[in-house]
This record gives sequence, C-alpha cells and structure tokens, in this order.
Amino acid sequence: MSIRRTLLGLATALIAAPALAQAPAATPAPVPGWAVGRPEGSTLAPHAPRLTVTPLDQVPVGAIRLPPGFQAEVFAHGLPGGRTMAEGPNGTIFVGTRVIGRVYAITRNPDGTTRVRTVVQGVTQPNGVVMVGNSLYVFAINRVLRFDNIEANLDNVPAPVELTEAFGFPTAQEHGGNHDWKFTTLGPDGRIYTNVGVKCNICEFDRDRFALLVSFKPDGSDRRIEARGVRNSVGMAIHPVTRELWATNHGRDWAGNDWPNDVLLRVRRSGEDHGFPYCGGGTADPQYNAGRNCNEFLPPAALLGPHTAVLGMRFYTGTMFPEQYRNQAFIARRGSWNRERLSGFDVVVAKIDANGNVTGVEEFLTGFRDDANQKFADRPVDVHVMRDGSLLVSGEQTGTIYRITYRR
Amino acid sequence: MTLRSLVAAAALAAACVAPASAQDKVRGAALAQVCGVCHGAEGISRNREIPSLAGQQAGFITVQMILIREGIRNVPAMRPFAAGLADKDIEDLSAYFASLAPGFPPDIRPRDAAQADRGQALIGPRNCAVCHQASLHGRDQVPRITSQREDWLVHAMIGYRDGTRIGADPQMNGAVVGLSDFDIAALAHYLAHRE
Repeated sequence: MSIRRTLLGLATALIAAPALAQAPAATPAPVPGWAVGRPEGSTLAPHAPRLTVTPLDQVPVGAIRLPPGFQAEVFAHGLPGGRTMAEGPNGTIFVGTRVIGRVYAITRNPDGTTRVRTVVQGVTQPNGVVMVGNSLYVFAINRVLRFDNIEANLDNVPAPVELTEAFGFPTAQEHGGNHDWKFTTLGPDGRIYTNVGVKCNICEFDRDRFALLVSFKPDGSDRRIEARGVRNSVGMAIHPVTRELWATNHGRDWAGNDWPNDVLLRVRRSGEDHGFPYCGGGTADPQYNAGRNCNEFLPPAALLGPHTAVLGMRFYTGTMFPEQYRNQAFIARRGSWNRERLSGFDVVVAKIDANGNVTGVEEFLTGFRDDANQKFADRPVDVHVMRDGSLLVSGEQTGTIYRITYRR
Repeated sequence: MTLRSLVAAAALAAACVAPASAQDKVRGAALAQVCGVCHGAEGISRNREIPSLAGQQAGFITVQMILIREGIRNVPAMRPFAAGLADKDIEDLSAYFASLAPGFPPDIRPRDAAQADRGQALIGPRNCAVCHQASLHGRDQVPRITSQREDWLVHAMIGYRDGTRIGADPQMNGAVVGLSDFDIAALAHYLAHRE
C-alpha cells in the first residue's frame, strides 16, 4: 500500500470510527488478558521454545537425578515440542504438542530401538491426545479430530472424523488466545475428561463456560461440568482405586514470586467450585477476592509450589517401582517463567493415603534446573506409565521422551 | 560438594550450553542466496511488506521458519521456500541473517517528528521493552523491531491485532489488542527510524 493510499485509508478509518482519532496518549490502553495485574517495569517473559531437532548428544539425560535404584534413558528423541502422551492398544505412544502443531507416533523397532513418525501436522495446538479403543482423538483448542484405526495406518494416516461442532468448545478468539489448549484423558466410565481454561490471567468470566473441568461421551454429547473455578488445568488422571478425578491447576501470574501456589485438586463430586479467581492455592486473591471466604470453595489437595507450572500427572499403577509408589501421583512441573528465580523443571510424587489425603510431596526427577546460573536443560510436561511399569517423561524443550526404570 | 553432585553439576552445565556453535553461518550464507531476491542481498529489504532480516534474532527467524514450514503461520509466498527445509538448514540460515548488520532500507520515508513522537509514546504503555528489551533489539525468539521496514511493521502488527497471525505464544496478540490503525502507523514510523 502506498503512503497516499495509507493516508486515504487512515482518513476513512477516522471518519468511520471517531474514537480512533483521539491522540494515543488519551486512549486508555486495553490490558491484554495475560497481562492483567502485571506490575510496571517487570521484565519477566515466557522462555523461548525450541522447535528444531535436538541432536542426541545434546539431550540432557546425563543431568537427570533420581532416587536410588532408578535409572533414566532416552526412549525417543527428535520430537520438537513433544508434550502430552497417550498409548494405543498396540503400544504406540502418541505425543501431542502446542506451538509446532504436530502429533507424533513412537513405535518400537524389532531391535528394541524406537521410531518416530509425524502423524498429524499443521493443526493449531494439538495438545490433547487420548485413545478411545482404536481411535486417536486429537483436541486442538476447540477442534476435535478422531483418527480411526490409527495404529494400523501410521504411514498413511486417513482423514479424521471432525467432531468439533459436537464438543462445542470456545474458540481461540473467545479465549483471546489464553489457556485454550487441552489435556485429555479417558475415564473408566468411557467418558473423555478435559479442561477449558480461563480466558485471561485473572478476571471475572462465565462460570459455566470457562475455568472448568468437563467430561463428555466420546461422540461429544452429554457434557458434564466436573469442576468450576479451575483456572488452567493441563493435567488430570482418574484414581485407580477410588475412581475420583484428580487434576493439576496453574495459579495466576503477576502476584509475586511466592503466591499463589500451583495446586493438585481432588474432585469428589461433579460440579463443585474450586474458587478461581477469588482464591488461589486456598487463600484470598489480593485483587480479585471480592469479599469471598475461601472456605466457601474446595481447598486444594496439595500445594505444588509457586509458578512451577504443574502439568501432566498419572497414578503409578505398575509393579516395576517399589511398592511405596503404588497408586501415588507422579506430576510433571514444567517450570516457572513468572518468578524471579526458577522453580519446578522436575517431576514430583504426591503421596496419597487410603483416605485420599495427600501426606506429602516429594521430588522424584530433578537435575534439569541449574539454580546457580538460573538456566534449565529441559522442561517435563507429561508422564506416562508403560505396561512394563517403567515411566515415560516428556521433555518439551529438547523434544525427548525419557524412560525411567527401577532395578533392585 | 560431593563427587556425585560435582558430576551432576558438570553434566547440567554442559547440557545448558546453547548449541550456537552447531549453527553454521557460512553454510547459511550459501543457502540464503535465494532469500536475497526478496529480502535484499544483505538482508535489507527493498520490497514493500517484505521484512529485512539483517541483524534479526536467530531464535526468532528459526521459530518463524518452522511455523511457516509446518503451515501454522500462513505466508503463501514463503511456503515453497520453507517446504522441506531441514531443521539444520533453518538454524544455519538464521545464524547467517543474525550475523549481518541491520540497516535502514534505501526507500525509507522521511521522518515525521510528530508521528514518531506519537509512536514513541506508546512504547511504555504497551510494555514493548518487557520482551523486546530496552534496546528493542529483541532476544532469542523475540524479534528486533528497530530499523525494520515501516510498511512491514504495519502489516505485522495489524496481523497480530486482527488475529490473522499468531506467534509462538499469544503475547503479541495481547500486546497490540485494541490499537487503532492510527496507533499502529505511528508505532511503525517510530520503530522504522530507530536504530
């Protein structure tokens, strides 16, 4: 567009919308959703993603520290942006991503090594991956795609069945680009459980539409609200004994280095309110409490550290690890950005007793966070219990899937 | 410090070193010949709504090229060039363009002091320096936004504002939310003339 046409267009815009003609200084800048509450002068910003292949010799498996008897190895690498994991009936591990828009499939070669294929590409934030029978479901913001008989067609993936309308999630525009990616898991009741995050850092919103855990029948019908007032859960699992839904939840940003905690939630009855935005980590929000008593809401089952970015979680149902880990919750903490000193970048275990009370949270996989230099080597996003009892951990920063085993 | 923790610290330090040495700007220069046709032989674009790449952050170019290659960022003119490019090619190209000296395009519009002042007045309220640094030269995945083509800056900001462009995260969509065309023109004019 020439300058003259630019000016012409500008003049037209000014006539059409007189409000735009005000001097910029007089126009109050609308605050974008993610920046609500940000203090002036802060230079905290999200860490850069790495979307290119990290060569094997740069994968930081040697940095991993584990309790005695555990070992870490590289299960698969060369999956830039690899995050969430789901396993098919034939043992294929499907890996969802956000920015790079891919879903990967990891299969085993006859010699025990792994092979990585890209089976979905060019989809916006396909973070939700879940197997229902032989079908892979991919949840990409509001899009829902079902790839039938996927494991038999890894080299020639058929066109998916489009279920977007049936599920009816808010669009990226309705979310304002905030907290619109999904985590998905299949319940023992055959329902798909997922999240609808809040459309801001912190704000008021429709409590039946945002900041929810929800479940559906696999055809997208029969939506049920499992939990309200859940700011941004990107990890959940069903307890293997009690069948209760548990979920991780991110606290808000810009409220200081040590408040609020990210939390673990226990959902005992569908539809109850967990308190966002009025309370965070079980205590009153300094700006958005609105006079509410935090006892009105369900308290968190456990505090998981400020800004640690708690994500994928699984209950350990295998037999390879020592008995003390049975039915305990392994939780990936991707690591902080909205904090002056780094926190997280590890995997922790929440110890849960027979009554469903969390008795403690212990570090399990550490070594990625370099406190002295304030750097990190990788960012764990999800965990997955293999049939042999080993535990997979995804490292998004280097596009690696680590495998944790135990030997007496 | 125990031997075990010493070994762990050494392994972590090695793992945290940025793999910059792995990127080959000489190889990138050879690959970049075709890019120069539109983006300028020295990475300074003489073409309307085509960005200069000289002195751009390598991390930014890499992420954007991946997004274009994967079809996440829709740039039809770039699609044939990005298709099939290996990750290593993209990293080398990025290292090459990052190594070039940034500069103003020859067809730069004369500076309009009043418009530039209006643009400069928006830098603080819009928190541009939080991510782009006080110099506005960017860092890693965050681009240099100074000495860029004015028409390109307008095009990019309108794309973010109107939701036709997304980046690695929605930060820029949020940063320009609600800006009028008038504001965007002023910001672009200010940035285009800043070193």
